[in-house]
Amino acid sequence: MTAQYYFDHAASAPRRDEVADAMQRWQHGVVGNPSGSHRAARDARRAVEESRDEVAAFVGAKPGGVIFTAGGTESCHLAIAGVTEAHRRDHERSVIVVSSIEHSAVLDAAQFMAREHDDVEVRYAEVDNDGVIDLESLREQLDEDVAIVSVMTANNETGVCQPLDGVNSLSKGHVPGGVPTHTDAIAAAPWLYLPVVTGSMDLISLCAHKLGGPVNAGALIMRREVAIEAMVPGGGQERGRRGGTVDVAACVGFATAVRLTAKELTDVNDRVIDFQHKLCAALSFLPGCAITAPGVAKVPGTVHVTFNGIASDELLFLLDQEGVCASAASSCSSGAAVASHVLAAMHVEPSRAAGSLRLSMGPETTEVEVDALIGILSSVVYRLTNEN
Amino acid sequence: MDSSVAAGLLVEQGHEVVGATLKLWGGVSDSGCCSVADVDDARRVAQLLGIDHHVFNYTDEFNRHVVEPFIDAHVRGQSPNPCIECNRHIKFDLLFERAERLGFDAVATGHHARVVEHDGRRELLRGADAQKDQSYVLGYLDDAHLRKLVLPIGDMEKSEVREHAARFGLPTWDKPDSQDVCFIEASKGREVFLRRRIALTPATIVDRRTGEVLGQTDAAELMTVGQRRGVLPDRDGEKRFVSSVDVSAGRVEVGRLEDVVVSRLRLIQTSLSFTHDALANGARVLVQWSAHGTAQIATLRYDGEWYLDLAKPARPVAPGQSVVMYRADEPSIVEGAAIVSRA
Repeated sequence: MTAQYYFDHAASAPRRDEVADAMQRWQHGVVGNPSGSHRAARDARRAVEESRDEVAAFVGAKPGGVIFTAGGTESCHLAIAGVTEAHRRDHERSVIVVSSIEHSAVLDAAQFMAREHDDVEVRYAEVDNDGVIDLESLREQLDEDVAIVSVMTANNETGVCQPLDGVNSLSKGHVPGGVPTHTDAIAAAPWLYLPVVTGSMDLISLCAHKLGGPVNAGALIMRREVAIEAMVPGGGQERGRRGGTVDVAACVGFATAVRLTAKELTDVNDRVIDFQHKLCAALSFLPGCAITAPGVAKVPGTVHVTFNGIASDELLFLLDQEGVCASAASSCSSGAAVASHVLAAMHVEPSRAAGSLRLSMGPETTEVEVDALIGILSSVVYRLTNEN
Repeated sequence: MDSSVAAGLLVEQGHEVVGATLKLWGGVSDSGCCSVADVDDARRVAQLLGIDHHVFNYTDEFNRHVVEPFIDAHVRGQSPNPCIECNRHIKFDLLFERAERLGFDAVATGHHARVVEHDGRRELLRGADAQKDQSYVLGYLDDAHLRKLVLPIGDMEKSEVREHAARFGLPTWDKPDSQDVCFIEASKGREVFLRRRIALTPATIVDRRTGEVLGQTDAAELMTVGQRRGVLPDRDGEKRFVSSVDVSAGRVEVGRLEDVVVSRLRLIQTSLSFTHDALANGARVLVQWSAHGTAQIATLRYDGEWYLDLAKPARPVAPGQSVVMYRADEPSIVEGAAIVSRA
């Protein structure tokens, strides 16, 4: 078996040992139902609430604003659908405004609501060629019917950071009474200091597995109280905002992951940003290669490039053969690489978009791995271009 | 199931095998082909066989080379075979090129046909199971393709393939064979597919011999040359066959069998393809123009352009259909293929 070089943290980060250790206690024998009243239940409840405190602190919100969900997609769905449903109660029309580069967790939730309800409409704010939201385009979408504005903190494919303060100012200042704002901070969370970066936004979506925590653990965090309807009301858990028994082990694993991420944030950023620069410098010499959005702020862990005249499928196949795990960043549910809606929104030519590659790193990525990646990627690209 | 067993047999023979599913159609489908479930099944089979599995996305190319030409051909009143076009342009063109770039020695499929080495040349033969033979859809492959193609189940009866599938513990072993055009929903059919994409043309149905107007159709594009079923079904019980479709003139000609039979098939010159050297003017061949049709004796002739003279008159053949030529003395061996321009 060829050595494994893992450059797909943005898809799922390696599980941290500390996470597995912390979860262990809650995966054997009696684990009380946190909603109960006896000692086992109280123990479980305490673990959940301590986890809630840590997740709240990670984004700089109050613990009462944390709604635990089974992952990031559910969190985004709850934000979009839950706030829109609440808006529909006392409005004739409800408009969901999203950027055109949102993750499908947000886009599909918005489109689902518009499909199900004649009084719901989705509007899209455009991005510029660097994949940064065009605030003028956002402003044009805003009127008194808007129920929620959702713009991600950093894009999951390109890593490009979004001007959330501008988004929030427009959403609050341009509509009488202000509009609730949501940000999918899932791709940003391993890198950015969320209490500041997302500080203006009302609702924040997180998930644990991009931080080295368990999958099926996420949260929607309310920085300010926003009217929201539960999507799964049964049971009334999470203050009536998300029914279902809370998974203690998942909460504890999630909390451990955010604690470690926060603790190491500066060190990891310092180290990985050097890798990012090194990779970009090396890759920019490869034939047909273009660094995506070279001039704008991106999370350090992501290097997104496109190759003219090379198919992602072939690139990924040969990288896989050499032990490199990477991704085209956009794939359909079958696993096939598909044209990226993010790159399309950035007006990247289709021939280039078909050759996209995302290399994403994390806390345990080493310089040796980065150097190996550069060597392997170069030989694969030369092989594919010479024979083309 | 056929491709799963093909993969399993190759693994058993000690080859280094990688499974690939081609994602071809991005639209709605109920054929099971290209669906997420289909890919999941293929991935599971690969896991059971202990091989890697990849999904290759060819949806743009499939649309460009297969679906759009299929629609355009209907606009011109022609009836192409999309499976043949897919084999020509996707499987045995793009996939072969990709396999070579990625360092593979051969591409294996689960088609019921055989590749046999004979006098230093590779020949394409009909599959051993006459009921399942798929040599027709592979008719355009030439010697260079055949050198890279492995067909592990071509010399098996279907029942034998099923036994291997069960032996390998493959979960798809009782899955029905895929039959229909993968991008057309079987529950809705070609008509719904075309109506969503083009305006269908009303046409007058006239008797080919007398010129008498016999009726109307609201979609000339859905009338196929050679078709009998559904042609003026309620008129007088007479069996009539479509002999020509002129979409732009809004005219469909029909007639009794003896009025419409053809004995010459004109070929699109650029479509003519031979497995090895070109056949000579006057060569006797067996020709087949549908996937499971019966082969007929014919003579390949040239009078400035190539055509086929049929030994026995036949029901008209739709322009756009592929005709595959087999050796007259060895009726199993494919010699070439071409697209019919007019009958």
